[in-house]
Amino acid sequence: MSSVVVESIGFGIVDASIISIGAMGFSLQFGLTNVFNIAYGTVLTLGAFAAYLAEQWGVVGWYDVLIGAGVGVIATWLIGKGILATFARRNLGLFELITVSLAVELVVQYSVDAADGEQLFSYSFDQGRALRFLGMVFTVTEVEIIGVAVGAFVLLECLLRLTKTGKALRAVAEEPRLARACGIPTSRIVNVAWVLSGALAGVAGVVYIINSLTVSAFTGTDFLPLLLAAAILGRAGSVSGAVVASLAIGIATQLVAAVGGTGYSTIAGFGILVLVLLARPGGVTSGLALKTEVTL
Amino acid sequence: MSFSSLDFYLATVVVIFGVDVLSAWGLNLQYGYAGIPNFSFIVFQAAGAYTAAILTLGPMTATSGQTYVAGTHVPFPVALLAAVAAGAALSAVIGVFAMKRMRADYQAAILLILALILNQFIVTDTSLFNGTSGLANVSRPLGSLVNPSTTGWQWAYAALVWAICAVVLFAVQRLSRSSWGRALRAQRDHDAAAAALGCNVVALKMQVFVIGGAIAGLSGGLLVFYLQAFNTASWGYEETLAIFVSILIGGVANNWGVILGTFLVQIVFVEVPNLLPQFGYIGLVDALEWVVIGLLWMAAIALRPQGVIPERRVRAERFGLPALRRALPAATAAAAPGQQGAHEERLGATGGASRR
Amino acid sequence: MLAPGDLRPLVEVCDLVVSYGAVRAVDGVTISVAPGEVLGIVGPNGAGKSSLLAAVGGQLRPTSGQIRLDGVDVTKLPPHRRARRGVVRTFQDTSEFGRLTVFENLLVAGLGMHGASLYAATVGARAQARRTATAAERAAELLARFELEPMRDTYAMELSGGQRRLVEVMRGLMREPKLMLLDEPTVGVAPHLSEQLRREYRRIAASGVAVLMIEHVLEVVEEVSDRVVVMDNGSVIAEGTYDQVMQSQAVREAYLG
Ligand SMILES: Nc1ncnc2c1ncn2[C@@H]1O[C@H](COP(=O)(O)OP(=O)(O)O)[C@@H](O)[C@H]1O
Ligand SMILES: [Mg+2]
Repeated sequence: MSSVVVESIGFGIVDASIISIGAMGFSLQFGLTNVFNIAYGTVLTLGAFAAYLAEQWGVVGWYDVLIGAGVGVIATWLIGKGILATFARRNLGLFELITVSLAVELVVQYSVDAADGEQLFSYSFDQGRALRFLGMVFTVTEVEIIGVAVGAFVLLECLLRLTKTGKALRAVAEEPRLARACGIPTSRIVNVAWVLSGALAGVAGVVYIINSLTVSAFTGTDFLPLLLAAAILGRAGSVSGAVVASLAIGIATQLVAAVGGTGYSTIAGFGILVLVLLARPGGVTSGLALKTEVTL
Repeated sequence: MSFSSLDFYLATVVVIFGVDVLSAWGLNLQYGYAGIPNFSFIVFQAAGAYTAAILTLGPMTATSGQTYVAGTHVPFPVALLAAVAAGAALSAVIGVFAMKRMRADYQAAILLILALILNQFIVTDTSLFNGTSGLANVSRPLGSLVNPSTTGWQWAYAALVWAICAVVLFAVQRLSRSSWGRALRAQRDHDAAAAALGCNVVALKMQVFVIGGAIAGLSGGLLVFYLQAFNTASWGYEETLAIFVSILIGGVANNWGVILGTFLVQIVFVEVPNLLPQFGYIGLVDALEWVVIGLLWMAAIALRPQGVIPERRVRAERFGLPALRRALPAATAAAAPGQQGAHEERLGATGGASRR
Repeated sequence: MLAPGDLRPLVEVCDLVVSYGAVRAVDGVTISVAPGEVLGIVGPNGAGKSSLLAAVGGQLRPTSGQIRLDGVDVTKLPPHRRARRGVVRTFQDTSEFGRLTVFENLLVAGLGMHGASLYAATVGARAQARRTATAAERAAELLARFELEPMRDTYAMELSGGQRRLVEVMRGLMREPKLMLLDEPTVGVAPHLSEQLRREYRRIAASGVAVLMIEHVLEVVEEVSDRVVVMDNGSVIAEGTYDQVMQSQAVREAYLG
């Protein structure tokens, strides 16, 4: 294998780590609620801004991850339980709900944009020395980012496999029909999913800024398609699926970037989402009405 | 503001209003009548605009200062027709896979992402339509009739745009009120039932997707000949959202209501702020506009999802049936829900009428 | 006298399998219905009744097996092509076109494939007007027969559950059906209206239409069906007249055990 390919795989693994943190969260949220929540991207942005502001206040380093997680939980709760659930109660269709989440995205994104004066903010974080591994090059920080992703994955898997709430959550995410039939109380579990996904989105935002060292009002929105692609490719509701899909997408987009430049790598990332959605048209299997139950 | 600049500004607003109304009718056919969540609508307008531009810019030369493909000189009407064809052709290509049966939110997401992809593609491959800088120096048509550098030309062009609007309104109304329009609305409300009654739902959606795309292409062609320039910032995905909000506010599946909605959203909210004295940094007003559009959108869905002027009820009298006798209380049952109870009792029906 | 079951069957379902991923909702079902016959399908929730009906109507593509209509294999035909061969159906969750008036619901059904044709609506407008006039006449008759005249200009979403069922059945009758598929057609319908519907089903069958009806209420099954099929877990566990089936040991176990 040429060194360019191997290096791209290295970059891809770092990207995949950031994508997977967000994708695990989206996968849980989407798997449980069935709401295609586009506003998830802004939670990422808010998490990144939280880290930026924390740095301005003198809180530096990996503490920012915790701050990001907190901000993510609050933002997701407000969006999910505050806004989307209110609309879902009005018995709106899937299109109306995605529309509302898009409108929320628009409002938050441009509010941040209006407040910050349309700037790109820079963040400083010591990236450490370069380490070589099987022909790939990682900075210390990048290795730590991979560590955060692996840590989040392991923690989440433990939660889903070992605790009672976690088991119920997994059951609902993977077989909502069955779970409802078995009488698992879904509303509490949905709340847990909102909190977890919010924390993950916030962390993803912070890790993003630690890696790229810049943030703008559009950061999360630009990043969202990759994350959605990973969550849906890995089957909504499946955390390990999201991680595997993130790896594939991270590496694929970096390979395209190596060959055709970043413009085409963005196109490739978006293209993967389109293909994934076309390949999993969801709900069609019932053949009757394309009705999908929404729980919020 | 001097008189001449006000005149200039007014003519521009009238032209933009016409172009936006055209787009809104196109999208209303697709979304309002057929239920297709076409979040990439603006892309088809762009297809029309770029096509009309390159067909009149002439061959690219070293002194053009911009790169583009297939530059030629064709007459204005031909370029406009080509813009229509470009919108329709791109719709046909995208429609082949995007009009498949799928979840409404997935379909919306696919079309939204396609809009992002195509925009990014034009940004990245500058050889097509000069990337972010876009095409400029498109010459104003019909210069032999009216001097193109006068406001007289602007008003003449505004008249042309609205004349075309009148023709399109006539066509759109005919189509939407026809049996075909009824089938569109039927499959929008329950696609499986429409198919079970013999309607080819995929073909219906494909047809309305292409017709809407053709109208989008037309609007793009008309726009570029007025603005004389067009670039990737002119067709961000947010533009489609503004058209959606116009439809939601004006009236879903109501082509007259859409004119009102377009006026409120595209003129009052988007254009008029340009008249205000500049405040804040450059771009603040735009950012705030999008915040307002997002809020309006949520309000529209929360308060009046059918729009200010809702879909018109098609009464059976139109089909030669005698009018319902006014004496019968149930004749007004829908208008006065309070009177419905008595009649329901006679029919002995149960179940709520609250389901949407 | 010739019993309906002796006629050549109108629809034959052979060894049909319908699966959702790993779940086999219908697992090797073979049934047939003759013209003029009402075949009732009963069985507990989740037995696969609706999935069977969807496969016959074309809403679901079966995993394997065959469906023949009038001797022709229609297994691979999309639903709108089956509709043109005389299949009509109602859905378990009513399927009215909510933002169309009752009258328009009927017109859509009456025009069928012509209604969905862009050509017929534009170039062929004159022939279309004739078809529309015929359909409007038929709609007026049906509105009178079902006592829904006062609701004809009402949006279907404003109707009660029972009235929606009526509209679905009327839509089917707009189309001169050969095979009518009914999925729990009396759910949510008040007793009085249900009686009218039951009479209509018998009347439809008497006119030579084959009727395949899923029904929970055993009284209705007893009254309307010529033959009954009992399903459980995707398979047919008993078949025969209502009385025969109710005697069956397997059926008692499925319902009680
Ligand atoms: N869209 C679907 N996706 C997955 N499983 C389904 C779907 N629809 C039905 N099923 C399953 O198939 C089985 C049969 O369902 P159905 O045909 O609706 O039964 P019935 O009409 O007899 O109640 C059930 O176990 C049900 O959970
Ligand atoms: Mg059923």
